[in-house]
Amino acid sequence: MTKPDVATRNSKPLLEVVGLSIGFETNRGLLRPVRDVSFSIYPGQTLALVGESGCGKSVTSLSILRLIPEPPGKVLSGQVLFEGRDLLTLSQRDMRSVRGKDIAMIFQEPMTSLNPVYSIGDQIVEAVMLHQKVTLDQAMNIAEDALHDVGIADPRRRLSEYPHQMSGGMRQRVMIAMALSCQPRVLIADEPTTALDVTIQAQILELLRKLQRDRGMSILLITHDLGVVAENADVVAVMYASRIVEVATVEDLFDRPQHPYTEGLLRSVPKLGEEAERLVTIPGTVPNPAKFPVGCKFHPRCARSRELAAKSPPQDVVTINDAGKPLNIMKRCTTAEPGLGEVLPTHWAACHFIEGHAKATLSLPELDHRREVQAETIAPEVIA
Amino acid sequence: MSQTRAVVASAKATSSGPLLEVRDLKVWFPIRRGLLGQTVGFVKAVDGVSFDIKPRSTLGLVGESGCGKTTVGRSILRLIPPTAGQIRFQGEDFLAYHGQELRKLRRRMQIVFQDPVSSLNPRMTVGNIIGEPLEVHGIARGEEKSRKVADLLATVGLDPTYASRYPHEFSGGQRQRIGIARALSLSPDLIVCDEPVSALDVSIQSQILNLLDDLQKQHGIAYLFIAHNLAVVEHFSDEAAVMYLGRIVEKAESRELYKNPKHPYTVALLSAVPEPNPRPTKRRIVLPGEVPSPSNPPTGCPFHPRCPLTRTCAAQASAQETVNISVAGQVARVMSKCVESMPTLEVKNNRADHVAACWFS
Repeated sequence: MTKPDVATRNSKPLLEVVGLSIGFETNRGLLRPVRDVSFSIYPGQTLALVGESGCGKSVTSLSILRLIPEPPGKVLSGQVLFEGRDLLTLSQRDMRSVRGKDIAMIFQEPMTSLNPVYSIGDQIVEAVMLHQKVTLDQAMNIAEDALHDVGIADPRRRLSEYPHQMSGGMRQRVMIAMALSCQPRVLIADEPTTALDVTIQAQILELLRKLQRDRGMSILLITHDLGVVAENADVVAVMYASRIVEVATVEDLFDRPQHPYTEGLLRSVPKLGEEAERLVTIPGTVPNPAKFPVGCKFHPRCARSRELAAKSPPQDVVTINDAGKPLNIMKRCTTAEPGLGEVLPTHWAACHFIEGHAKATLSLPELDHRREVQAETIAPEVIA
Repeated sequence: MSQTRAVVASAKATSSGPLLEVRDLKVWFPIRRGLLGQTVGFVKAVDGVSFDIKPRSTLGLVGESGCGKTTVGRSILRLIPPTAGQIRFQGEDFLAYHGQELRKLRRRMQIVFQDPVSSLNPRMTVGNIIGEPLEVHGIARGEEKSRKVADLLATVGLDPTYASRYPHEFSGGQRQRIGIARALSLSPDLIVCDEPVSALDVSIQSQILNLLDDLQKQHGIAYLFIAHNLAVVEHFSDEAAVMYLGRIVEKAESRELYKNPKHPYTVALLSAVPEPNPRPTKRRIVLPGEVPSPSNPPTGCPFHPRCPLTRTCAAQASAQETVNISVAGQVARVMSKCVESMPTLEVKNNRADHVAACWFS
């Protein structure tokens, strides 16, 4: 296991999210689905934001482009810096020129994110003409090229078709073509393949990797699939219950997970070809944003806290109610929320009980790293 | 009632023959056109599927959306009437049953659905959801029903006091547990699990899979486990079958299928699953094109337009054995045999329990 090369590049981050907190005003009070989230993406890098439903990963991505409805949503604090410029302070008009042109986004549901009453061509041309000074004819040519680039056969004819005439994989390609038609510097991909079949997922991920290679764009990949993360990310940020709990290079994260949540997640997924009688599980349920636990938000489900409590003096232990049953865990986990500290060189985690966490500096994670091994694909013609 | 119980008990004790035998199952949906609704063709959602499920074992059914795996699951419970074929449950012809008798037999086969939200009635309490089958089949009422419901809740790992709550008060994983408790209430011999974990969060999926595994060991239940996630199927099944466009294209003991896949579709499907390893070792095979529509399937082997193997074979074959086809805007040379005739399931790897439908594998 070689140490990943860090600090060898001296480029600046392209997109930085600094201390972002988002609130939603509801009739049950202020919900805070995103708290103090920070990460940075370098040019040509893929950063994966991983987490389960309700952890705040989608709200984070939407707020980068200021797409959360305000009200009820509200940025409580933080900055979103694109090339050093804070997007959160831009006027609506300036923001419109960023969306689609500098930073584009593709969504999980290719069916609902395309307009059913406009042809594919109309929808791509609209985006192109908004951001580029071109004639309709030129815009049509750009749209045709964009469809060609994402591997759609007979693009000229497809331009006049409507979303319902296409399959799910084809619609996702159209979404990507639309997002890429204005040559964005950053692509935010929110669960881009979750709704697709495995063979189509493989096509779309290969396409994204190819486009990234050709154009050097950065990708913020939001997903819950650890396989997709392992094969596509350079750097991974794990979110749990509104916060980032671990940030590391993709190799470090899978080789040496530090946070008990990451550890549990990696162990609970069945792997192809692995013989395991029983799956390791994370007990309990994914918390609801309306009632996050106090202290460390993972404490009701944390295996590490339980193990430590079993061998700690009584004054350090507290008994909590675990679905009707008493459960001993470390008292510290219920009183103080751990910050994201650099527990190993270039490896950040938020847990009181990682060796070195107490002494770790609470720095903002910045990792200019590229993965060691690229995922390889073979086209059918060359299969031996 | 007690008689049925005795039959169930004896069936579980003798585990010689298969629990469920499905032979040449066909489910065709008519395509109607025009004012008079004339049938102009059929969508052959399931077209000649055969398999056995042994008592206390699990058959995994894998495939992509539209391959017919859900239709197979529903038609063996006769929730969708089969067009043709035979279904024998413990040796008895299930399709010959009607009315009261059908209902009696049905209590021995249950289903767990994919979506834990829409498969539970939001206006019924959990106690009524789980207890309704007990009442309908005249097994328990009143006090006894409540007691059984409490037992079932405890069996699936929920607090028995939850019986008075409503589905919306639960998380997805808990709702799936309620769905499993409902399926268990009649002590079935077979449960069809239709994508039971795909709507759940990653950390919850393993909890549900372990629960299903425990229940199989404790109660001797057989599963038809339908899923698109190959890693989950491999982990969970004794035997696995891969479906493509309404047909089983390969079937084998689960480990064997994953170690020595024979059908080129299985090979591609296995290679397409992203591995949770930051240094990927295997190379992905990216199949060209998409799954064709079952209303207008390709001729011959339905996989030939996307098949890597037929292309490789064609590259080495003489011109009269091959033919050019157009796929996703590109021309590909494939073997004529694959375009002309449909391969049947044949024994591969010299193992009687490993079959695949491919001319060239």
